[in-house]
Amino acid sequence: MPTTAPSMTNRAPDRPEDGDFKTELLALIPFLRAFARSLTGNQEGADDLAQETLVKAWQSRATFIPGTNLKAWLFTILRNQFYSDRRRAWRQAPWDQEAAERIPGGGEDQYFSAQLSDTARALRCLSDEQREALILVGAGGFSYEDAAGICKCAVGTVKSRVARARKALMEILDGDDTLGDTQRPAGGEAAREIMAQLDRLSTPDLGAQVGKRRPK
Amino acid sequence: MTQQWETTVSKDEKPTEKARAIRARQRAIGRELRRMFDDVAQEPVPDDFMDLLRQIDDAEDAKGGKKVS
Repeated sequence: MPTTAPSMTNRAPDRPEDGDFKTELLALIPFLRAFARSLTGNQEGADDLAQETLVKAWQSRATFIPGTNLKAWLFTILRNQFYSDRRRAWRQAPWDQEAAERIPGGGEDQYFSAQLSDTARALRCLSDEQREALILVGAGGFSYEDAAGICKCAVGTVKSRVARARKALMEILDGDDTLGDTQRPAGGEAAREIMAQLDRLSTPDLGAQVGKRRPK
Repeated sequence: MTQQWETTVSKDEKPTEKARAIRARQRAIGRELRRMFDDVAQEPVPDDFMDLLRQIDDAEDAKGGKKVS
């Protein structure tokens, strides 16, 4: 194993550790696909995202510090790619319905198809922040600390996002019935938020939605 | 205020039937989330990914001007 962190310029193609790196990369592809699917909510967009991530990871392999968590490193790249693709799509073609449908995480009405489980549908109703935190910790097996590193926020923030995500999922799935009156959100704030998100998701004119979020 | 309902069960409250039910439900949802994630992770990796890694190899070969075996 190399003992020194390679510099950015050390990109000789025959570095012996490149073989190991690629082997490890290969082994982590299934998890990249799963995380990508949970972010985008659809298979095609997710696999494009996972492939972009692989290319980025390979190009940046000299910046990976051997012995650290490669899975977390890859998930960080994937997450950055997801948000930057989406921002770019918003900037470039906010008026273009066709482009809007290509946005990862866009065109979400298609995920409300019959073959998706209730939980999968409910997951699409969460905010991006809550969804990614819940997936990383609840399904991806990451510690709160690693998830905080991936999401670039404080550990406490991840904890509260996960807690709120769990509660919101339960409310969506069980229609509030499991919570007693005293534990209900004041004024049904969560319910309003969920309904607002559902409204956005079911809006047929996604291009208009994208336009609204266009930076001035 | 959203803070009001952050805690499903207050800490000084004895675990009630309802609290136990909520925890059981949360565990079930957690299992379902893991199942969804694992289902994708267990799918065979599409050929596109292998093609991509081969392309990376080819590009490296071309750039380095030598064969990496």
